[in-house]
Parts: sequence; C-alpha cells; structure tokens
Amino acid sequence: MASDHAVSSDPKRRHRHEGPQKHIVAFVLSLALTIIAFAAVAAGEINMTFTYIILVAMALLQVFVQLAFWMHLKDRGHLFATMGIVFGIIVVFTMVIMALYWVWW
Amino acid sequence: MKEDAALAAHAHTVKRYRGLMDWLTTVDHKKIGILYLIAGGLFFLVGGLEAILIRIQLIKPMNNFVGADTFNQLITMHGTTMIFLAAMPMLFALMNAVIPLQIGARDVAFPFLNSLGFWTFFAGGVLLNISWFAGDIPDAGWTSYVPLAGPTYAGGHGVDYYLMGLQIAGIGTLLGGINFMATIINMRAPGMSFMRMPMFTWAIFITSALIVFAFPVLTVGLVALTFDRLFQANFFETGNGGNTVLWEHVFWVFGHPEVYILILPAFGVISEVISAFSRKRLFGYSSMVFATVLIAFLGFMVWAHHMFTTGLGPVANGLFSIATMLIAVPTGVKIFNWLFTLWGGSISFTSASLFAIGFIPTFVMGGVTGVMLAVAPADFQYHDTYFVVAHFHYVIVGGLIFGIFSGLHYWWPKMFGRILNEKLGKATFWTFFIGFHLTFFIQHFLGLIGMPRRVWTYLPGQGFDTMNAVSTVGAFLMGIGTIIFIINVIVSAANKKPVANDPWEDGRSLEWSIPSPPPEYNFKQLPLVRSYDAWWNEKQKGNAEMPPAEPVGPIHMPSPSILPLIMSIGLFAAALGFMYHHTIIGIVGIVITFACMFTRSVFDDHGFHIEPEEQEKGVHA
Amino acid sequence: MSAHDHHLDGHLPHEPEKATLEGRNKILGFWLFLGAETVLFGTLFAAFIALRHQTLDGPTADHLFELPMVFAATMILLVSSLASVFAVQALHQHKVKPMIVWLIVTILLGLGFLGLEIYEFNTYVSEGHKFRTSAFSSSFYTLVGFHGAHVAFGVLWIGLLIAQIFKKGLTVVTAPKIYVSAIYWHFIDVVWVFIFTVVYLMGKVG
Repeated sequence: MASDHAVSSDPKRRHRHEGPQKHIVAFVLSLALTIIAFAAVAAGEINMTFTYIILVAMALLQVFVQLAFWMHLKDRGHLFATMGIVFGIIVVFTMVIMALYWVWW
Repeated sequence: MKEDAALAAHAHTVKRYRGLMDWLTTVDHKKIGILYLIAGGLFFLVGGLEAILIRIQLIKPMNNFVGADTFNQLITMHGTTMIFLAAMPMLFALMNAVIPLQIGARDVAFPFLNSLGFWTFFAGGVLLNISWFAGDIPDAGWTSYVPLAGPTYAGGHGVDYYLMGLQIAGIGTLLGGINFMATIINMRAPGMSFMRMPMFTWAIFITSALIVFAFPVLTVGLVALTFDRLFQANFFETGNGGNTVLWEHVFWVFGHPEVYILILPAFGVISEVISAFSRKRLFGYSSMVFATVLIAFLGFMVWAHHMFTTGLGPVANGLFSIATMLIAVPTGVKIFNWLFTLWGGSISFTSASLFAIGFIPTFVMGGVTGVMLAVAPADFQYHDTYFVVAHFHYVIVGGLIFGIFSGLHYWWPKMFGRILNEKLGKATFWTFFIGFHLTFFIQHFLGLIGMPRRVWTYLPGQGFDTMNAVSTVGAFLMGIGTIIFIINVIVSAANKKPVANDPWEDGRSLEWSIPSPPPEYNFKQLPLVRSYDAWWNEKQKGNAEMPPAEPVGPIHMPSPSILPLIMSIGLFAAALGFMYHHTIIGIVGIVITFACMFTRSVFDDHGFHIEPEEQEKGVHA
Repeated sequence: MSAHDHHLDGHLPHEPEKATLEGRNKILGFWLFLGAETVLFGTLFAAFIALRHQTLDGPTADHLFELPMVFAATMILLVSSLASVFAVQALHQHKVKPMIVWLIVTILLGLGFLGLEIYEFNTYVSEGHKFRTSAFSSSFYTLVGFHGAHVAFGVLWIGLLIAQIFKKGLTVVTAPKIYVSAIYWHFIDVVWVFIFTVVYLMGKVG
C-alpha cells in the first residue's frame, strides 16, 4: 500500500492540528438539544404529539452531531463506517415500526 | 506486513508449533478453513443421522420407531444443527480457504479473531449436542417459539442448551462477519478495485454484511428468552404483560436474513464454477453485483412472511407479500446470467460443474414455490404443511448444499493439494441429486393434500403412506451419496501426486496463480491486479505468473495463540454453569474469558518473519 | 525492501492510529462492530417500545422516573464524552500526559454515571419495580442495564489502556487502541441519547 505511506510520512505535508473548536461547538449543541428535550417534557403543557416530535427531532439531531463531529464520520476515509451505521439505523427503523404497529392488536 | 520493519529489529523467539498444537493454536486462515470443514462436516453427519431417523419414523403410518417427544427433539436438533453447525461452518470453510487468496492477501484482517470465531462456533456446537447425553434435549423446533419454549411448557434444560449453544456459536459467526468485511475492504491487492473482485468475493462481502446486521438481533432474542427462563423475566410471559408474537418478530428479523446468509455464498460459488467450466467470462458481472446487493437489502424487509397466519392483518400481510415477491426479480437476473454464461461456452462436466448445473433448476424450483408461499392468502393453506418443508429443503439443500459440494470439489486441490476422484465425485452427485429430488419433490404433494409438519406420525388411509415411504427411500440415497463423498476424501488423500497451481487449467482468479496448497504466506510477492478475472487475463497475455506489486522481502506473520481455545472453553463452562444455576462455575467461566481478553490486550503480538531464503524453499502452512 | 520508516525524525506520525495497516483494520473493524451494536441496542429498544405499557401492578414510567436525576446522569455522560474527545486531541498532538489525564477524567465520570444508575435502580426496586415485576420492568432493566454494562466494560477497558500507556508509551501499536476506545465511549453516549429520550422522557410524557 505505497499510497497510504505517502500521506502520513510525507514531510512536506503540513500537519494541520485542528483545534478543539469544532468539538466544543458539538458539545454545546448536544447540551442545548438535551436541555430543550428535557424542558419540553418538564414544561408539561405541550400537546403530546408535538412533544414526541420535539423529542425525536432533538435526539436525531444530537446523534447526528455526535456521529459527525465527535466520531469523525464527516471526515475523509469514513465511507464504510458511515454506511455501516446508516444500514444499522435502517434495520433498527424497521424494527421500531414492527414494535409500534405489529405486536399488539 | 513489510512496513513493520522496525519491529523486526526486536529479537524475539519465534513460536512455531507442530502437530496437534499447531492446529489448536493456528491463526492461519487456510488451517482455520480446514478446521471449519472438518467440524462442519462432522455436524453435517450428525444432522444427517437425525434426518434419517426422522424419515424412518415417517416411513409408515402410526409408526413407533421413536416416540413423539424424541421426534420433536430430532426435528429441533436436525434443523438447528444443519443450519448453524453444518451449513454455516462449511461456508466459513470456503470463505476462509478462498477469500484471502482471491483478493491477493496474506491472511484476513484479524487472524486471532478468526481463530476465536472457529473455537466459539465449535464450543457452541458441542454444547448444543451435549444435550443428547444430558438427556435434556431442545424440542421446541429450530425456531423455538414461545410459549412452547418458555419456562412453563419447556421446564427442563433442553431449550437452555439451544439458547446457550446458539449464543456462543453466534459470537463466532459475528466475529467472522466483521473479519471478512474488513478484510475485503482493506486488504485487496493493489489494482483490485471493487468491480474487479471475483464474484465469490462479492458474495462473501455482502454475506458478511448480512451477518453483521442480522446476528445481533438473534443475540437479543436469545438473551430475552434466557432471561425469561433463568431469571423469571417477562418478555414473553403473557400473564405478566409479555408478548409471544414479539419473539416471532425478533426471531424472523434475524431468521430471514439468515437464509440469505446461507444462499448468497452458494450463489458466489456457482458464479465461479460455471464461469470456470464454461471457459467463459461471467455474463453480466455488474448486474450480478447489483442483484446480490438488492437481495441482501430486501432480505431485511420481508421477515413477516413467516408470520402471515399470526393475525398481523391485511396491510402488513400485503406489504410483506409484495416485498417477498420482489426478491424473485434480482434472483431471476442471477439465474439468467448463469444460463447466459453457459450458453456458447466450452462446457466440461466435472463433479464441481455438475453440482453447479444441477443447482440451477433445483434452486429455481425452490424459488418458485417460494413465490407461491409469498401469496399471503394462499399461505394460510400451505403454512405448517409439508409444502413449506419441501420449499425450504429445495432452496437450502438444492441450493446451498449443492453449492457447497460444488465449491468443495472445485477448491479441494487448492485447500489440500489433492484432487478428488472424478468417478467417485460423479457418483456422489448422481446419488445425492436423485436422492434429493426423490425425498423432497414428493413432499410438495404431501403438503398440498394436507400433511402437517412437525408431527411425529400420521393416520393411515389419508393418501400419505406411499409418498412418505418414497421420501424415506430418497433420504437413504442422500445418505449413501454423502458416504461416497467421504470415501472419495479418504481415497484421494492417499494419492500423493503433486497438484498443479492451476489444476483445472481454466482458473480465472488469483487463487489459481499460487501453489496447491499455497505456502504459509500465500503470495511471495503481493500481485498487481490489472483487470477482472486477473489471472485469466495474465495467462491470455502469455504471462506465467502474476506481475508483482512489491519486491521480495521478509514477510511478517502473526503468531499462533492458544487463547481462542481457552476463551471458548471459558464461555462453554460459563454457559453450563448458569444453565444449571451453579453460579460459581458460571462466574469462573466468565473470568477465564475475560482473563484471556486481558492477556491478549496487554501482551502485544509481534509476530515473526519468514525470510526470503525460507520463501525460496517453499514454507508450507 | 520497503524503507518507509515512520520514525524518520524520531517522532510519531501525524495520526498514529492510522499509520499501520493493523491500526486501520482495527478502526474499520470496530466501526463494523458498532454497526452490529446499533442493531443490538435497536432490538432491545424495539422490545422495550413494544412492552412499555405492560406495567401490570407495578409502578408506571411516569410514576418512577425523576427527571433531575436523569438529567444529571446525562450531563455526566456527555461531559465524559467531551473528555474523551480531548484525550484523542492530545493523542494527535502526541501529548501523552494530557491524554492520560483526560482519559482518567473520562472513566471517573463514567464511574459517577454508574454510581448514579445503581442508586437509581435501588430506588426503583424499593418502589416495587423489580426485574420480574412485569414485561415493562424486564425490558427496562435489560435495555438500561445492558447500556450500564457497556459503560462498566468501557471503564475497565480504558483503565487497562491507561496502564498500558504508562508501560509501553504512545506508539503506532497503542494509539489505535486509545482511538477505538474513544469511539466506543462516544457510541455509548449516543445510545444514552436514545435511552433518555425513548425510555425516560417519552415515559414521562405517556
């Protein structure tokens, strides 16, 4: 794998150490999304369906933020990792549908 | 891995074992493949014996060869053993033997985990079959439906053996799936893009993905039922709010992809064998790849076609019915591609190609009865009859087992440096082929006239008698075919004539460019791949060898290890301990397993090197 | 003979975890394992969702769950995940001491999370919500307990890795292990996002 050596040992390539900024932004976002979710439930007066939508949306957004930034899925070289997680989510989605609609009747 | 030259400077004693220890500690994919084949073959005989006993019981009405309880145990063990302990391991045998060679690699991505996968499978298989000696045998079917398999109606330890055995064996399978995906993604030889991979490699790649996403579902199901049985949980206890249909859903979300895990590798074998023995490039390679991906994806969307009669309702039944029929389309594409490969080819009828050619009509028959079953209202008539039994044996035996026999005959010289005798091979084929159709074709009609499955006997005068007798005769023929194969193995082992790199002379892929059997390190120099059917194309250009992608140099090999075996023993002990409520033994088993993981993490494996001088001599695995 | 010596200037390569084939294999293999874990937890979630109303005589979700405690647990785990981000940053900057400090912070917070969870379960048991009480309770403890077990395993694993760094230092062999354990730790935080949403918050809503 000659090409793989070139990236890591080529002394001409500037090693940009990206600082923690993006990760801290991700942390703040996760925090905010968590607080919104808890607040929506603690408030108690929001219509139930709307609350569910908020909860699901906040969770999905936070998961996306954490996967993309903290787990580097948005970085190069993560194609198969991303496909793996996406396909796992698809399988889980079918099972959640199963659990909601096809277990009790 | 040559880049670890710095590590090579460390002087470390090279641990090389011989004899039994070599086999117990090997991390070499070629040896692990052989271990899978032997173990899988042994379990195939066990499952086959169980089948013969079932068929003897059913040879005539009101037979009392075995009682009802034993019959239930036999059908449970036959199905479970054949699927998990025979078919899958024999597929893993071919995967291990062939994939690294086909992609031009020296081993799989995780050789240690590869060994661990084998030993956990073996431990799980032994655990399951110990039940026979414990006198407490699983008897709730290979699908283990609740409440029949729950604590109320299956009070003994029988079902626990099923749950624990499959759980442990399942760990091995999952590890294997991850291993082969990583191997195929990361370790292809230079120049081998995805669309230049042999079709068998593609099939295994997609199968491995299915394994990775389907087996964890089974894991949870087994855990839930184990908790119900051992710790009084209530997942499926309807009196306490549990739900029995939930088990069916969880089992079949795993179970349906599982049958594609079984058949896709066979499809891969057929593609290789038909192409090689037609001396012709596989027709429609891209559509084959796409069709395989589609089959795998759709395979996760159809599980409830095993549940049409549970009362899900017309919407669910309709959705799953249509999704199931959709899978026939890409499968049909593959069938036509195989036919078009044969058409105009220079066909030679060897044992391998006979099994592959016999596969085609047989599998199609199984496939079309599958479409019949997919029609939900019709399924209300077929469900739980021998029509279903006929269908799945047509696709599993007529599909998978024929594919395995084909692959074994084809790759035997590469694996063992021996060629299987052609006359005996043809005798195997014809006996098994005729026996198979005799056994199962007639079962379609038994099902249609109403014979229920999983029942230990039947009343006379319903029109079942003659057909059952014929079916039993067929089963014995299959047994004879299997015995002929075993004789072939023994007879050809004695023939020590060296085998060529490319014994079929029509090899298209990389495994045929190296000796039979290959040296321990597979390739002295990793090859440079310039096309699909890389080896064939180099031969067409007049080259006697693959062009190398690197210079000759010391080859870094992973060290052997006894830890996988010990870990598996630990899991085995833990399972028995918890099953029989001997908590101490259970904990000791878990501790042993964790201690092995700890050891593996802390003590790095520096491996060893095979120097160019040894490579010249030809180091054999 | 390949002379690509990564120790050209005596220093570690930029991303030491990806510098070797074994390292890249470990990372890819671990991601595939996480794909499997996604399905594993997904199935536990599906079972929980199916059984969430089957409380029988036992206390219901609304009755049991205390939002402040769940929020505290969530914060602890989120901050621990941030700590492991900083650990990997230190790894990329080849700063071994800060890396170890952040890893220790990670597992201390992880232990805090576990302690809180054990306390929480104890409270539930005393309120009549035992493992065997109902289908809801069995699936609750299995799902949340499995997650807790994953946290516990992570604590032990990262603890062991810290010890290994002390002994062997940061090398192209130890770096992938640290990297992969951080990905694992993030994953169990991601699973927790779904747990607090689906189990606790939706349980409160009804």
